[in-house]
Order: sequence, then structure tokens, then C-alpha cells
Amino acid sequence: MHISDGIINTPVCIAANVAALGLVYLTGRKATAEEIPQMGMTGAALFVASLIHFPVAGTSIHLGLFGIAGIILGKRSFPVVFAALLFQSLIFQHGGLLTLGVNAINMGAGAYAAWMIWRIAVIPESIRSIMAGLTGILVPALLMVIEFRITGYGTAIALLLLVYLLAALIEGGITLSAVLFLRKVKPEILDG
Amino acid sequence: MRHAFIDKYSHLDSPVHRLDPRVKIITSLAAIIIITTEPVSGRLLNLYLYSAITLAITGLCRIPARYLLKRMLIVSPFILMAALFYPISVMPAHEVSFISDRRPLAEAGLSVFLKASLALLILILLSATERFHRLLMALRRLKVPAIVTTISALLYRYIFLLADEMIRTARARESRTPGVLRRGRLKVYGNQVAVIFLRSWERSQVIYKSMLSRGFAGEFPDMQEMRLRSSDILLSLLFVALLLLIKFLI
Repeated sequence: MHISDGIINTPVCIAANVAALGLVYLTGRKATAEEIPQMGMTGAALFVASLIHFPVAGTSIHLGLFGIAGIILGKRSFPVVFAALLFQSLIFQHGGLLTLGVNAINMGAGAYAAWMIWRIAVIPESIRSIMAGLTGILVPALLMVIEFRITGYGTAIALLLLVYLLAALIEGGITLSAVLFLRKVKPEILDG
Repeated sequence: MRHAFIDKYSHLDSPVHRLDPRVKIITSLAAIIIITTEPVSGRLLNLYLYSAITLAITGLCRIPARYLLKRMLIVSPFILMAALFYPISVMPAHEVSFISDRRPLAEAGLSVFLKASLALLILILLSATERFHRLLMALRRLKVPAIVTTISALLYRYIFLLADEMIRTARARESRTPGVLRRGRLKVYGNQVAVIFLRSWERSQVIYKSMLSRGFAGEFPDMQEMRLRSSDILLSLLFVALLLLIKFLI
């Protein structure tokens, strides 16, 4: 899901960087000193947990966990996603430097969509968690397909959505069981 | 987890290593923009020239080629996939015949591949020739919001600790559920994810207290010494001008 430099349209990347930095400013402006280490550690956990390979049909896929990031961090998920992607780009070259904004907006949108669903209190918590896990993957995948189409890739690129649909279903299940666990053990993480 | 590979070669001495990190960041971004804005067709000569210049600069850095290749190989499958998929996806269905000329499509694929590989090499050089903390401080001085650089610094400091935590939780999971899990796989993996978040949350409380006692007020102090020399700016301008000359004159 990390798009490298040179793969998609450069003006789109530049515009996305400007938009992403604006969003970081807006959503992170009022973060208190106490929140910062929490955001840093949750970002680290997010990255590390995404290294878990879930076995499926003879192979394995790695997790994205944007849904659970949205649930735990809420509004603050965007600066965390942006910083985590900057880190990954510089250290592991997962995602480019120019595509940082595009990648942050894709994955941040997944986290925000999940957070919005999570806040609809009338839906039972278990359904909300599954939906948060699903949208956390599907929203970024959809945005990615749109960006590839703007760049000039053919309509066949939409097949990517099918690949991510399987990943999204798994994320839904993982998010549900993680939320059930946290609700039992440390509910303040979910309600913070 | 071993993490000695990170900024392993940042202590070397070369003209690129000596550049001010701010100049390095801006120059890298400019070069990536110039290279990636090349159209996908008919400009292969330009991309070859960019490659020659970038490789010459790579030679200046004195970083072992083996290391650079290894880092490039990790990301290259994704680049290859995009380079192969681009021509296939734009090929009209009725043109799939033996008569039609495939050369423009192959060139488009090669162009995507070269552009992405060059941008990747530039990014690897940027991160390999400078210590990570200095890059973050340079970004901060370039007015990137403090929240981004502070969180990135925390990630750098704690990610390997948490990676070990992940390995421990994976070991615990495997010893509880040996072999291939047939049922309840989602629950088992979901619990592992939750435990990682839980431990990081608890650790963040302790970290905050220790940071607070050292006077933390939302941002790490900037103690890096950076001097913007005119020779740095001149070298950077020369490089960017060369790329622009190729872009607009050839």
C-alpha cells in the first residue's frame, strides 16, 4: 500500500503533500505534551503490529491496522500516520519522499473513516469494530486506485480492490477480536 | 532485533556526507520532482542521462554498492509490478495481436521503472549519508511541524524495543497454539495485536513521566549544529541546474 516515488503523477503528489501538511497542522495543533509520547508509542505499535503476517490460503498477508489506529487515536491518528510514514520512508524506503503526502492521506483517510464509524454509538460495538477494520483498508485501497487512474493507468487497476477486499475482511475480524480484548483488559484505551 | 543497518554508513566522509542536511533534503526533493515529471514516452535518453549523473553522485558517496543494491532490491518488486502493469493496463483490448507494434508500450514500462528506481536511489542516498536525528532536525528547521519530527524521533527510539516485544508475543502465541491453526485464527492474532497496543500504551505512560522529569514540553531540544555554507548551496544548485538543462534542452 506504500506507493513509491515515480509511480504516480507528480502534481498529484505535490498537492497531496501540501494538503497533508495542512491536515497535520490542523489535527495536531492542540496536542498536549502528555499526548505526544502516547502518539509516538501508538505509532510504533502500529508499525510493529503491521509486521505480523497473518497466514491465509497457503501464503500470508501483513496487517494494515488503520481501523484500530482510528479507534485508539481518533483525531490524532493523522499526525501519527504521517510521522510513521516519514520514518518508514527514510529508514526502510517503504513509500517515497514525494509520495509521503499521498500515502499519508490514503492511510489517514482509512483511520478517519474508521474513527467516524466508531463514534456512531447506536451501532453495537462488535459491528462497529468489524466495520472500522473493513473501512480502514478499503478506503485507502479505493483512494489508491483513483490516484493510479489519474496517473493514466488503465481501468484494470481496479482489480486491486479485489485483492484488498480479502485483506479488509481479515482486518475486520482482527479489529473485532482486538477491541473485545482491550474492552476486557484496558477499556480506557478505547474510550480515551 | 538487529538494527545496525540504520544509518550504518552515515559516519563516512565524502562530499555528499559533508553537505548540510537541509540542502540535501531540498536537493533530493528537487531531483525527484525533475526526474518523475518526465513523461512516460519518448524521453528515455533523458532518463539515461539522469541515471548517469545520479550514479556518478552515488560513486562520490563511498557507500558499498552491495548495501545500496540490497536496499534497492527490497522495494524493487513493487516498482517492477507498476512498470509491468502500466503498459498492460493502457493497452487497448483490440490491440492484443501479433502485428501491432509493442515498442512504445515496452518503452513506457522501462520509463516508469527508471523513474521510480532513480527516485528510490536518491532517497536511499539521502538517508544513508546522514544520521537520522540530523535529518529530523533539518526537517524541523525547514518548518515541518514539530509534532511530526517529535513523533518520528520517538518511533526511531522505541520501535526496536517494540519489535522485540512483537517477537515475544509471537513466540507466546506459537507456544500456546502450535502448528497450523484451523479455528479461531482471527481471535488469536487479534489478541496479539491488542497486547502490542496495550504494552505500548502502558510504556508510553512511563516514558512520559521520565521525559517530563527531564523537562519535556512537547518537543525535543534542537542541539544539532548546522552551518549553511555557500559551497553547499553552490554544489546543490549545480546538480539541479544540470538536471534542468537535460530536461529542457534535450
